[in-house]
Amino acid sequence: MAVPSGHPGGSGGPRRRGRFTARLYHRIFISPSVLVLLVLAAYPLVFIASAALTRSSLGNPFQEFVGAANFQTAVSSPAIRDSLALGTGYAFGVAVASTALGTVTAVALWRSLHAGAFVRTVLLLPMIVPPVVVGILFGFIFSPSGGLLHTLIRRFTPGSGTFAVLSDTTWAIFGVALADVWEWTPLVVLLVFTALLGQQPEIIEAAQLDGASGYQMFRHITLPAVAGTIIAAFMIRLILAFKVFDLVYVMTSGGPGSSTQVPAFLIWRSALQNFDVGIAATITLLLAIVVTVVTIPVFLITKRLRDD
Amino acid sequence: MTDTLNTTNAAQAFNSRRFRKRLPTPGKPRPSLLANTWVLLSVIVVLVPLLYLISISFMTQGQIASGILVPTDPAFSNWSNAWDSAIPRGVLNSLMAAFGGAILTLLLALPGAWAIARHRTGGKALSGLILSPWLLPPIVAIIPLLTLLRILGLTNTLEGLTLVYALINVPVAIWLLDGFIRRIPVEIEEAGRIDGANEGQLLLRVVTPMLAPALIAVGVIAAILNYNEFLFATFLTQSQESQTVPVLLAGMLSERVQDFGRIAASSLIAVIPIFTVAVLLQRYLIEGLTTGAVK
Repeated sequence: MAVPSGHPGGSGGPRRRGRFTARLYHRIFISPSVLVLLVLAAYPLVFIASAALTRSSLGNPFQEFVGAANFQTAVSSPAIRDSLALGTGYAFGVAVASTALGTVTAVALWRSLHAGAFVRTVLLLPMIVPPVVVGILFGFIFSPSGGLLHTLIRRFTPGSGTFAVLSDTTWAIFGVALADVWEWTPLVVLLVFTALLGQQPEIIEAAQLDGASGYQMFRHITLPAVAGTIIAAFMIRLILAFKVFDLVYVMTSGGPGSSTQVPAFLIWRSALQNFDVGIAATITLLLAIVVTVVTIPVFLITKRLRDD
Repeated sequence: MTDTLNTTNAAQAFNSRRFRKRLPTPGKPRPSLLANTWVLLSVIVVLVPLLYLISISFMTQGQIASGILVPTDPAFSNWSNAWDSAIPRGVLNSLMAAFGGAILTLLLALPGAWAIARHRTGGKALSGLILSPWLLPPIVAIIPLLTLLRILGLTNTLEGLTLVYALINVPVAIWLLDGFIRRIPVEIEEAGRIDGANEGQLLLRVVTPMLAPALIAVGVIAAILNYNEFLFATFLTQSQESQTVPVLLAGMLSERVQDFGRIAASSLIAVIPIFTVAVLLQRYLIEGLTTGAVK
């Protein structure tokens, strides 16, 4: 390897030049990342902001400046308000369910004899299945003509009527949520279980010597040790649930009626079925506000737990 | 530092086959009946839907409607029908776009991830903003990406989709790689510098070899995300020869008469390759998720 001029120990000049070259390298190294941010974040943001303030169709954006008209339409539209409320409720419901089930399963796995390779592999499978296939699968399970749920209900309570989960305006969203929880709870299990294994044995031994009971140990040592991970997993899960699209597309197409029309689906429908990019952009901005407002408290809690 | 080291040990313990034999470890509580029952239940909850899908794939439409759960007289026609359709081609397309995209993602993300994690290039703004595209529904990026592909003349091609996959995973890849890069002792990089390596050589000859397991881990995660991706694939691959397998499967649902058995068999053909990859590289997959996602 050739010795470049920036060898440490040389005089001040070459050394400074070396640092300059190093910085130039680092700038070159981050340029693809900056480019990606421009394409995936900056450009969409400018586009969305402009589209939200103008009358825009898919083929012909920015036709005329309309000021806050799109916002007024969006805020006064029951469909859009319902969708944002549904999306928020769905995200929290699914995130709470996944985090609770995932944490309990992780603790059970930690206290179980059967945490062998087979169990681990099985518990990883759902998050590797494409969401489209998960949607198809749960569509079969909920199918009123010979689906798993229907067949089981028939077998245990003969003579009961047909129960079509995904065609029911109240239950359809729960059907989608169940598929979502099935798919992503393993991620919480994995993260929390790893954190449980990573506890420092010295602390636990010390507590055992001090005569702490099993419950006390769990409450005062184990739980605080993994609380940060649980909150972080909740946060990841919350954002994944806010973005749900594939499951809704495959299982219900937003229906019946608009009972499963989550924000991502409504944005898609406005932009690519009704070709109203102005409204789609406005909904996107409103969704961004909602996501920011609801994730800030969670984020602050995460930070506090991390700093303790 | 101790914190990150601990996670590493944990990930290794999680992955170790000898984990069960090392019981009882001081940190581990005694196994309980309740815990064993819960684990058994969760395995059942995970497996029953998947087994049900396998079961349907061997049933005729009539058998499904009659409420049989396990076919006594398995029908193999669903599998041969699925095999003779566009599905195998779709799987091949998916695999090419998924792994091609993942490799490109790593090439784009690694230099940036190293500079951001080690040298704070771009400052707080860049490290804070890097994950921002991940927070919103991916649909917001569809118009810029379509414009980009139109400029490059890659609309409706598998190459175009591969490029899109390469770009959309860069933020997540940088975020996941960060945890791994911080674990490399700075002294090793310093030693390389004293030996006269410039930053490019350092990245290529010192950092990259040390990150090999991390690159596999993050690459597998990106490949799985790509393989399962649906929204961009529907827009960017309208032509038959470039369609990926999720697009084909979703298309089967809009046929007038849905053939459940054939859809189930096709879904399984789609899932088998990615399951194989995930199970074979399980060790890396777990390490990537645990080291990268929670720091």
